[in-house]
Amino acid sequence: MIYLDNAATTKPVEQCVKNAERYLLREYYNPSALYAEGYNLNLELKEARRKILSFIADENNFSLNFTSSGTEADNQAVFCGGKRGNIVTTLGEHSAVYSAAEELKQRGTEVRFANLNSDGSVNTKHLLSLIDEKTSLVSVIHVNNETGAINDIFKIAEEVKIKNKYALFHSDGVQAFGKFSFKLTKNIDLYSVSAHKIGGVKGCGALIRRKNLVIKPFIFGGGQENGFRSGTENVFAIKCFEMAAEIAFEDINVSREKVKKLNVAMRSLLDNEVFRILSYDDASPYILAVSAAGLRGETVLHEADDNGLIIGTGSACSSNAKKRFSRVILACGADKQTADGVLRLSFSSENTIDEVKTAAEILNKIVKNRLNIMA
Amino acid sequence: MEKVIIIRYAEIHLKGKNRGWFERVFVVNIEKSLKGLKHEIRRHSGRYLIENFEDSETEIILERLKRVFGIHSYSVSLKVCTDMDAVFNAAKSVCAAEGKFKVNTHRADKNFPLNSMQISAEIGGRLLDVNSKIKVDVHNPDFIINIDLRENGTALVFNEFFKGAGGMPVGTSGKGMLLISGGIDSPVAGHMIAKRGMSIDCVHFHSYPYTNMQAREKVIELTKHLSSYTCGSKLNIVSVTQIQEEIHKKCNGDYMVTLLRRFMMRIAERIAIDSGAQCLITGESLAQVASQTVEGMTSASSVLKTLTVLRPLCGFDKDEIIERSRAIGTYETSIEPYEDCCTVFLPKHPVTRPKLCDVIAEEEKLNVNALVDEALKTLETLIL
Repeated sequence: MIYLDNAATTKPVEQCVKNAERYLLREYYNPSALYAEGYNLNLELKEARRKILSFIADENNFSLNFTSSGTEADNQAVFCGGKRGNIVTTLGEHSAVYSAAEELKQRGTEVRFANLNSDGSVNTKHLLSLIDEKTSLVSVIHVNNETGAINDIFKIAEEVKIKNKYALFHSDGVQAFGKFSFKLTKNIDLYSVSAHKIGGVKGCGALIRRKNLVIKPFIFGGGQENGFRSGTENVFAIKCFEMAAEIAFEDINVSREKVKKLNVAMRSLLDNEVFRILSYDDASPYILAVSAAGLRGETVLHEADDNGLIIGTGSACSSNAKKRFSRVILACGADKQTADGVLRLSFSSENTIDEVKTAAEILNKIVKNRLNIMA
Repeated sequence: MEKVIIIRYAEIHLKGKNRGWFERVFVVNIEKSLKGLKHEIRRHSGRYLIENFEDSETEIILERLKRVFGIHSYSVSLKVCTDMDAVFNAAKSVCAAEGKFKVNTHRADKNFPLNSMQISAEIGGRLLDVNSKIKVDVHNPDFIINIDLRENGTALVFNEFFKGAGGMPVGTSGKGMLLISGGIDSPVAGHMIAKRGMSIDCVHFHSYPYTNMQAREKVIELTKHLSSYTCGSKLNIVSVTQIQEEIHKKCNGDYMVTLLRRFMMRIAERIAIDSGAQCLITGESLAQVASQTVEGMTSASSVLKTLTVLRPLCGFDKDEIIERSRAIGTYETSIEPYEDCCTVFLPKHPVTRPKLCDVIAEEEKLNVNALVDEALKTLETLIL
């Protein structure tokens, strides 16, 4: 089985799971407990928080609270960061931000969506024009989860702050964390990450927060995570996250170069008579969106699956949504037929060039055959 | 003082010499619905008593009985011996703390020294003596205490009647094959026919890889739910992908749905006959969608060789169907947004009033029997 749906979730790093197993079976104590066993776990969590943060931010200026997922981190940012006035976000957000923003709208907050460029990145000019003195939150995805388009969030955040220095700036970094080298700047107030996209296990994410920024918790209770996120911490998943991040960041540039080669190979191997490449060359190499126009992406997905190749259509989180056309791809200006045939191929450094070759062969064959039947 | 549930049946009492058979099926169905729960069912002069159940499971039993066709009504009751003190104690425990009430007595045991009126008066009087917050109002009571004195020396005392599902016991009116799509209508159609005593098996058509596993899972979910009313239904799943592709390739695309429905009828009839069903059931409602015109229905039915088609929803509006769907509990699942096979290869201008001769002319471009045989090779049967 060839797995090219790594943007949906990655295979957990076996060594990390094994090393963290003791937190499930032997060191099962509640990290908030006062006895030494519990307190030691508390220290372990502190170390995990520090380490994960250190990869992308200066620990003196940022803090981190663990959440149950990237989605929860995004929700905390949107619901607790964007309370008054209006919030500004983009049409290219993952549904974790997009749907949360829509809900906020239902509850009476004005929400403004910025248009996208044809590659899926945000139209910065339009975004900035939507910001006024009443804007309380601006949320811009770092790497688009469907096309891989990269937003220069550092530059955007800087410009946002020039327009309104009180507006909070949040970015969903789920598809960027562990794949690119960068450090959060002072203009970034909130940043969401997720463990299972970089070899960790599902059920763990984090919201990174500029220090001294106080936002309300999204989940109330026993006051864990310094009161920012109550609920007993998932020590096992958090320690897995820490170890997986360590591995990801150790080889971050090597991995990306390798994935870049896979991406380039896939682009050239797919038959350009039947496939339209949607992701631009400067997009994240980890994500390659293509369209088999004239077919439904899902039909190709099922047939690929039957042939030993796992791929995605749009983002896995939106594939059971009522609207089958990818919202993001349509917002890039694609026609409905192109949007209907979207496939998302997403790589990890575990993939090999041989796998890419086989995958391209399978896809070319399936799509040509299917188009023939449907003609 | 023992807690029991009284079950009264609906139309069975109208039956003549074969009443015993109806009753046996009825009891078997109740047994099936209470599977896994501790209980005993006893016949009790024209009604049934559920006894020896766990008090904590009363709610679950009542909930399950709601789905058994053939039940007219049921009551949670206290069973005591026909001794006035015992009856009074039972009446006291079902009596509300305050309000207007009356006592209704039914005396099947005509040897009992007091008649119905006297028993009601005696028990009512004693209740008034012990509770000053209640008073008698025989015309407009807040609650009624029912006393049923049976011939066998037992008395049943209860204060509530729950309405049963009505209808006839499933299994007493033959067996039908329901064409189930995953939408709102077909489970409602199946439920309506099952209510009249018919056993139901289902057949579902899919177009993998054009449709997905979630759509299939949804139909399994719906059939399971329907099974809770039908005392178990089988689900037959058949792929019509090849048929759709052939129609797409060889025929006028506007006839896609009309032709496909004829194939579905043929396949359903074959499966129905093999599984001993005597009819097909569909959830069609007249004029609801392009294919549900009288011409469309005639065109579909005309391929059937021996079986008839029941279309119980023909005269219903969509909102009436939705209301029923909510009532039987299939609505939430039905509206999950997974596509069934009909939306693949959907023509822009489907034929709404197909003429049979035109349909047949289109169909002649296909090798119908071979396609039906091929489709039947994909048949998969699940027992739910």
